[in-house]
Amino acid sequence: MFRVVEATHIIEIPIGPQHPALHEPLLLKLHADGERVVKVDVITGYNHRGVERLAEKNSFYRDIFIAGRVCGICNTVHADCYVRALEYMLDVDPPPRAKYLRVLAMELERIHSHMIILAVNAELAGFDTLFMYLMKDREYVMRAKEILTGQRVLADYMMVGGVRRDIDEVKRSRILDLVRRVEERVRYYHEVFREDVTINKRFRDAGRIKHVDALAHSLVGPVARGSGVRTDVRAQDRYDAYNEVPFNVVTEDYGDSYARVMVRLGELHESISMVKYILTHLPQGNPVPDERKLPRRFPEGESYAVAEAPRGELTYYVCSSGGDKPYRVKIRTPSFNNIVNSAFAYVDQMIADVPIILGSFDPCISCMERAVVTDLRRGDKYQVPLKKLAVGGVRM
Amino acid sequence: MKPALVKEVIKGIFGKPVTIQYPKEQTPIEPDFRGRHYADLKKCVGCSLCAIECPANAITMVKIPEEYIVPRTNAKRLYPVINYFRCVFCYRCVAVCPTSAYLATNEYRLASSNPIDSSQLSLSTTAKAGDV
Repeated sequence: MFRVVEATHIIEIPIGPQHPALHEPLLLKLHADGERVVKVDVITGYNHRGVERLAEKNSFYRDIFIAGRVCGICNTVHADCYVRALEYMLDVDPPPRAKYLRVLAMELERIHSHMIILAVNAELAGFDTLFMYLMKDREYVMRAKEILTGQRVLADYMMVGGVRRDIDEVKRSRILDLVRRVEERVRYYHEVFREDVTINKRFRDAGRIKHVDALAHSLVGPVARGSGVRTDVRAQDRYDAYNEVPFNVVTEDYGDSYARVMVRLGELHESISMVKYILTHLPQGNPVPDERKLPRRFPEGESYAVAEAPRGELTYYVCSSGGDKPYRVKIRTPSFNNIVNSAFAYVDQMIADVPIILGSFDPCISCMERAVVTDLRRGDKYQVPLKKLAVGGVRM
Repeated sequence: MKPALVKEVIKGIFGKPVTIQYPKEQTPIEPDFRGRHYADLKKCVGCSLCAIECPANAITMVKIPEEYIVPRTNAKRLYPVINYFRCVFCYRCVAVCPTSAYLATNEYRLASSNPIDSSQLSLSTTAKAGDV
């Protein structure tokens, strides 16, 4: 008479918004059947600051500094992308030395950004010693950035028509010395990530994204490259001095968290060799434009610039109506694609692996808080107010 | 135990700590670090360009008190006062100043419980009428 029926009991577990894996606000609402994740809702909107609206209210030049503050870790890339959009509009070409110095600043930033996320990945796997070691050696890069730009984090280095300060022979040799020290340590960390048993056990097979999925969900940056997609704007677009500085696009085929970590380690080596190439092949000339003589009003028109941020493809769209303020600035950051579109990667994984997978995507929450929703089924577009975002997120 | 680990342990015991004991020890800082900056009133012409260009709206133009001597170029007797709590230290004001009036330092210790601005520093660059 009696039958035993095994009913699945799905429970809802919120991870976040207080520091889910990194120290940034994001809510992952897990639906778990026992230890197995069956569905994840990615809810964002805890860090929306209205940067695009702020950019419309300020002048083109003030926006360079506002663009740099969209994200702390990738600030020179944001500023460079915005400045290039302005340069396309004005039809200005910066001198070769300025292009080299821009690439130098951006690659130093890529080194420290990749080191910080590798450190966080190690910490999420419970390997706190490696976290401390990586953060210690990241200080060398911060020092190099301070020598180059004048501040450790927020560089404010880009300006229309060039960069804001030049380097001399003493600074050049000091940065080269620091980068050589980092190179030695990165080789050691590559060995640690390759050989350590704990890291291998935690990262292998966690959050595997197949090649087709990475393409179908339009993932960008190291996440896509970890799944074997050869996408790198530096190689595709060859902006700034990337057409002259040699580098390889690092890809891995398997697509799990371990592959993404390995892509970042490979890119560290590439970035270090690029920095060394730039410092030994720096062209002559004056890279610093006189900021007092730059045009205040911009011609009517629109422009679009792409850059490869440490997390992937970053785009800026700037529309000018012929005044001294932009009519519209649209920012599309890499984390927006990588985090919102990657909810499928958590399915069928263990709950304990969720922070590892999120960490391996390298989320930058302050970058990704954008709030225009385009409903493709109804074909309309609407803005979501901050209050609604804070309560429930955007329902896709 | 791996031999590499022994080396790390010995380095950890006998090596110098990485952490800088900040108030007792000074953090090494670059000479051209973007730190506290203020206007030199001998050069300032009171044009307000820095206040217009400041991305953080940290600069306000203030009337120079009557007792201070001001060059004849500064007819409006205005000078910029930087609110260091608002300032983001981008040095846009230093770069756009038509007379290069800004004095830049690498002073980074700006923590204070009272609001701090550049008025004292700026006024100290010029003399009072009675002193001369």
